[in-house]
Amino acid sequence: MIKKIYLIGNPNVGKSVVFSRLTGVHVISSNYPGTTVEILKGYVYVGDEKIEIVDLPGTYSLEPTSHAEEVAVSLLKEYSKDEIVVINILDATNLERNLLLTLQLIEKGFRIVACLNMCDEAGHKGVHIDTEKLEKLLNVQVVPTCAVTGLGIKSLIEKIKDASPALRNQLTQEERWSEIGRIVEQVQRLEHRHHTLKELLEDASVRPLSGFMIASGIIYASFKTVRFIGEFIINKITDPVFINLYQPILEKLTLHWQEKGFWFHLLIGDLINSKIDFKQSLGVLTTAPYIEFGMVLPYVISFYLILSLLEDIGYLPRLAILLDNVLHRLGLHGFAVIPVLLGFGCNVPGILATRSLESKRERFIASTLISIGVPCIPLQAMIFGLLGQFGGLYVVGVYLVLFCLVLILGLIMNRFLTGYSPEFLLEIPPYRFPPLSTLLKKLYFRVKGFLIEAVPVVMIGVLVINILIYFKLFNLVTSISAPVIHGLFGLPKEAVVALIIGFIRKDVAVGMLMPLGLSAKQLFIGATLLAISFPCVATFVVLLKELGWKGLVKSTFIMVAISVIVGATLNFIILR
Amino acid sequence: MRRITLVQIKPNRKAKVAEISGGANLQNKLMHMGIFKGKEMTKLSHIGLRGPVVIKTGRSMLAIGHGIATKIILEVE
Repeated sequence: MIKKIYLIGNPNVGKSVVFSRLTGVHVISSNYPGTTVEILKGYVYVGDEKIEIVDLPGTYSLEPTSHAEEVAVSLLKEYSKDEIVVINILDATNLERNLLLTLQLIEKGFRIVACLNMCDEAGHKGVHIDTEKLEKLLNVQVVPTCAVTGLGIKSLIEKIKDASPALRNQLTQEERWSEIGRIVEQVQRLEHRHHTLKELLEDASVRPLSGFMIASGIIYASFKTVRFIGEFIINKITDPVFINLYQPILEKLTLHWQEKGFWFHLLIGDLINSKIDFKQSLGVLTTAPYIEFGMVLPYVISFYLILSLLEDIGYLPRLAILLDNVLHRLGLHGFAVIPVLLGFGCNVPGILATRSLESKRERFIASTLISIGVPCIPLQAMIFGLLGQFGGLYVVGVYLVLFCLVLILGLIMNRFLTGYSPEFLLEIPPYRFPPLSTLLKKLYFRVKGFLIEAVPVVMIGVLVINILIYFKLFNLVTSISAPVIHGLFGLPKEAVVALIIGFIRKDVAVGMLMPLGLSAKQLFIGATLLAISFPCVATFVVLLKELGWKGLVKSTFIMVAISVIVGATLNFIILR
Repeated sequence: MRRITLVQIKPNRKAKVAEISGGANLQNKLMHMGIFKGKEMTKLSHIGLRGPVVIKTGRSMLAIGHGIATKIILEVE
């Protein structure tokens, strides 16, 4: 009787891909260690039995040295050893390092099946492993697989029920490594290969001079491509659909409506020059869908396409190496680059990814910096769309302000926060070129996730806002906050509504600024404030979950203080 | 035989680990990643301004923070 199956293995051996293959549940996988920050559960059919299967965070050993490893090891102790089967996933291209965990699992008496993953890649690299001999030496079943294509998964499932414990003496670490050396010598045959272009690139991207050149090239090209694809979708697809197709339909429908009526105000909003204006009307059927589908969605698609590509190729850990020394001075280390980049898509997964940072202090600094200085892609899309009209320099300006803020704030936090930030120690994966289908699938799931989360909130949000505006319920707030909003930040006092809406969704908040007829300077200040002030409610919830009440209050205090300082500084000094 | 740290050795040179002069936790951590006394490694590069050292050992490429790299002592001819 098997109660549970666990997937365990070193970081970045493809556990999540195997998990997806076994369960049919799609989970995000990337080519860097530590993608899985939540414990994933699913079901697999072994014969007729439906058994729960758990994907554990990557671990090098059963003697944990980091938080993620502790979690993995403690979960293994939930059931007694004869009630569970452990699938130990190994990277065939790097057998030696992977076997430490395998030996430990066998010594501890777990029933294991060894899954020798990435067999195709090993073949390409001239690494040949004699699986039968390995089976004999370890005395456990070994199944070669290639999870990306699904090869071998079926026989992996078949072997689960036959898994039985093997007998092995307890060894010390040193003894284990020499035992591993003996095993590898017998089962692994290396073909001599000349350095490939890929390997040359792998090395060049971590050397100082060539590394920084490659990094600036990649960052520049990524930014340009995101904008190009985003604008392309807007100009060639979404705008024509909205203006040539959707607008005439709406206009026909509303031809006989009385303009000032309640429902008209709610659904269509205000007419600009007696026409529907998707950017300014502010109706549930006009501006709301236009913001999400016509302004934000195109950039969500282009951003996640490029991010997924960089993730799957395995470039991000190399960027982490190059930026480690800078990030060190902000109290972080190189790996923090990954949560930050994810935060540029949406702050929520960004902050969740800080779990792969080790100390509480690091997680606090990273989460605070992300929620202040990293605008999510919906907000960025709106900034491109709106501020871009006044010239690219303004857009660059917003990023520059945010970048300076992150630097200054990081330096200050690193100086004054107690606690420690551990050192960088990261395995750098080889470059891999994911099949296009894998990439598109990942993009599809990310875009779908965005739509499910964003669209209802935006529709309901705009509806509620319109009701509040219709009954003039914002007037009190507007006049109370006028001294700060108008006096300090130089914005029209109605802009406070946008800042409040920013708590619900940032893209809608910028949308609320659109009908106010702001000058370039006002828009600049408004957009910057939206980026640094309160994060949206979804981010707030994860911040609470990750930092606890005390951390959240501390972080919020920093945000409010910074917003006031930056808003006033921009208004009175920099953009005078 | 001379002993120098991983920070001091020149890029593209190969050497054996003589000692890891850190606490048990660091020793364990490195041990799990396959770095221990007697292990051979090649330094690939070193990012300036106290940036990390990148090494190759076995079939892995590892990035090691500057602080840890000063604690890895190598034996060179």
